[in-house]
Amino acid sequence: MEHTAQFYLGLIPLMPLIGAVVIGLMHVMTCRGDRLPNKLYAVLACVGPVVSCIMAFQVFAILRTLPVEHRILVHNAFTWFSVGELKISMGFMADPLSALMLLFVTFIGSLIHVYSIGYMADDKTFAKFFAYMNLFLGSMLILVLGDGPVVMFVGWEGVGLCSYLLISYYNEDQSNVLAGNKAFIVNRIGDLGFVLGMAFLFWGIGANNGFDYVSLRANAHLLPPAMTLVVCLLLFVGATGKSAQIPLYVWLPDAMAGPTPVSALIHAATMVTAGVYMVARFSFLYAHVPAAGEIVAWVGILTALLSAIYGMFQDDIKKVLAYSTVSQLGYMFAGVGVAAYSAGIFHVFTHAFFKALLFLGAGSVIYAMHHEQNIWKMGGLKKKLPITYLTMLVGALALSGCPPFSGFFSKDEILFSAYANGFKGIWMIGVLVAGMTAYYTFRMIFVVFWGEPKNKSAYDHAHEPPAVMTVPLIILAVGALLAGFLNFPALFGGHQLVSQWLAPSVLDHHPHAEAATEWMAMGASVAAFIIGISIAFVKFAKGVEMPVFSGFAKFAYHKFYVDELYDFLLVQPYKTIGAMIWEHFDPDVTDGPRKATAFLYGMAGSAFKVIQTGYVRMYAIYMVIGLSLISLLISQTLN
Amino acid sequence: MTKKNIRKGALDIMFAEWLFFGLAGLSVLGAIGLILFRHPMNGAMSFVVTLISLAGLYALLSAKLLFAVQLIVYAGAIMSLIIFIIMFLNIQEHDLPDEEGKGLFLLGGAVVITPIALFLYKIVKSLPGSDTKIIGNGFGDVREVGLILFKNWLLPFEIVSILLLVALVGAVVLAGKKGVGK
Amino acid sequence: MILNYLTLSIVLFCLGILGVISRRNVFTVFMSIELMLNAANLAFISFSRLHVSMDGHVLALMIIAVAAAEAALALAVVILLHKHKGVLDTNIFSLLKG
Repeated sequence: MEHTAQFYLGLIPLMPLIGAVVIGLMHVMTCRGDRLPNKLYAVLACVGPVVSCIMAFQVFAILRTLPVEHRILVHNAFTWFSVGELKISMGFMADPLSALMLLFVTFIGSLIHVYSIGYMADDKTFAKFFAYMNLFLGSMLILVLGDGPVVMFVGWEGVGLCSYLLISYYNEDQSNVLAGNKAFIVNRIGDLGFVLGMAFLFWGIGANNGFDYVSLRANAHLLPPAMTLVVCLLLFVGATGKSAQIPLYVWLPDAMAGPTPVSALIHAATMVTAGVYMVARFSFLYAHVPAAGEIVAWVGILTALLSAIYGMFQDDIKKVLAYSTVSQLGYMFAGVGVAAYSAGIFHVFTHAFFKALLFLGAGSVIYAMHHEQNIWKMGGLKKKLPITYLTMLVGALALSGCPPFSGFFSKDEILFSAYANGFKGIWMIGVLVAGMTAYYTFRMIFVVFWGEPKNKSAYDHAHEPPAVMTVPLIILAVGALLAGFLNFPALFGGHQLVSQWLAPSVLDHHPHAEAATEWMAMGASVAAFIIGISIAFVKFAKGVEMPVFSGFAKFAYHKFYVDELYDFLLVQPYKTIGAMIWEHFDPDVTDGPRKATAFLYGMAGSAFKVIQTGYVRMYAIYMVIGLSLISLLISQTLN
Repeated sequence: MTKKNIRKGALDIMFAEWLFFGLAGLSVLGAIGLILFRHPMNGAMSFVVTLISLAGLYALLSAKLLFAVQLIVYAGAIMSLIIFIIMFLNIQEHDLPDEEGKGLFLLGGAVVITPIALFLYKIVKSLPGSDTKIIGNGFGDVREVGLILFKNWLLPFEIVSILLLVALVGAVVLAGKKGVGK
Repeated sequence: MILNYLTLSIVLFCLGILGVISRRNVFTVFMSIELMLNAANLAFISFSRLHVSMDGHVLALMIIAVAAAEAALALAVVILLHKHKGVLDTNIFSLLKG
């Protein structure tokens, strides 16, 4: 059993990677001549994720049969490099945490691959898209399954690359390419933090005691507290880049330039949650320094607040969802920051379902409206797109935290943990954000699906997308509806299955609170939800024209001019310095010695050119002269 | 050993010495002629003298087979070939390169080569001396050399045969090229 | 004395080098190389006599064979040279000039 599972561990990331290589090669070889039929690529593209998904379920099942304290499966595929004592192997590890991630990544990944077959059907480079998607899934699985920070970093960079490739997928438009560049560069800044944190960690304990999670966890106490704090914060810098937190969140809204399934898979469900996964993965470090967790929690909740404000004033359906993603990611960081790791990961899990659902639903709407993304130009679509409407409604209720949808349980768990662990401020902001979330989510739903159609001709042509797109929506809707019950709170007589499952992997700080407190926290959340949805209903249910923003709303609509601020404070000075170095420092200072060296070589060359007469006889003479000198030298040593 | 025999042996040795110096002088003279004569034909004739005197020296060193081979193959066949080609090309005085500063080159060359010669001489001088009385018991005759050649040196011998074949083919290809413009 | 033979061998060898480096006539250069080969032969045979072993003779034989092969090829090259350029000057080739 265990051997099978270990065998699977190596295969799970390999399947999509093989798919990527095969599809990529087929695409490259046929792109000049006749294209192969899309159906062939569609089948090839879905084989890898689906097989991985099946194997992931097997691994999960096998892991469940093991006793709780032995729920770790490790598979060393090969030794990647070994320097002296240090040996880094390409190892894959399944423990409860990574197994949970593995499950939903492969499951939702497979669904989105199926959905993409419909969504991308008219695309000219169908095969390229699926090659990237498979590559992404493989990288994500390496990230999740890696048995140490180094392997995780491989996946980390891999998903970053795929994110870049897919954001700038429609590369005829320059703004899309710029959005891809922005995502890539901002992620690099975060990655620098990750690399530095990894280096400090290695320096502190990894060098002598092994550099995989099991050894690191066993030796975490050897790291001095100050160093632990530094490592935690540097790793969190990496997480802010990947998971779009303050101050590096700016790339995620722009990343919506990519195809909608990409937004669903990469920029909502999986990749952006990698930062949360990482913090939970290193919970053995964060547990030592509460200060680091506090910073993480505050950054998270402030991000949630800021992007919720942005989200309330967007008019692009995908931008609304993007800001809500940033906001929900903030919740997750608040969760892991207050040491409720299982709550944070549970929110990752439920969020993956309902956010993927919302994005895919938005994709259906965009598809039906012929690539119209402005919500003010839609309206009244619930008659035309009933399945999309119903499934998106489920997703929106889940996102807003309506009981008993999945988002309610996970968000409430986080907020309750924050409250019970003594972070009252975070809890208050969290409740406020919950209300705002309900508001902007239902603002979107009402404007898009209710009221009167704004664009008559587009409305008349709109129709429900094919089954290959609606079936994944329905499956995800069921998931968004039911996933919350996995962690049914003890308050209602549940067993908190997810928290128990994750207990061996993460070091949760379980608050002991009275049932009354719990009821109070939950009541606050529900109240916030009701207030939020009511305001949205009053303002938008009747159908309104596109508003003209002014004052604060305009300020928020322009995202507080943060992009412009970054541009002014960071990008422009950087460019100026670069130009100065290019114009003055490079030619005079850097190139000086190089030019001098080249000049000397030239001189020496023309000096020695004289002896290269080209006459064979002269070369013979040189040889004899050399021989003669050697003879002189040796005959002096002879007596 | 009788007194007469001792005297005869001493005479033999003396005779051999005289013979050596004669032949050595001839061979050096021939070599000097080779490098000084302007026309290659003169040089070749002078080189033949060197080769023949070397053959004589081989005989003095009891290398009977080599004596014959030197005369027949070297002085005979190879030199005939060279002289034949020189005559074949019908080299006239104006065909010859004008070797300005030949004397300078010779002088400079001699200066450069002197250390090499002295170095080699130093080494040779440190060797044990030995007389070069002619050995009668079959040393260096066809049978003995042939036995060693076919016993100890069989593989190099075969390789040399291949070398000769390749050289033959190469010479035909090189010299037989058609359509080479002037 | 063997020493005399070896000295003669050195003298002939050095004369051969002198010929190669100071003359421009192809034939002379070629025959100077032959002279050097002969000097080596003489040294072989002298050492053979010194040690009363006939391996030196065998090597001398092989050198003669190599000299024969060389003569065949070198003369072919000389003929080509003469065909191409009409002269016998080694200095006519200076493609390697820097």
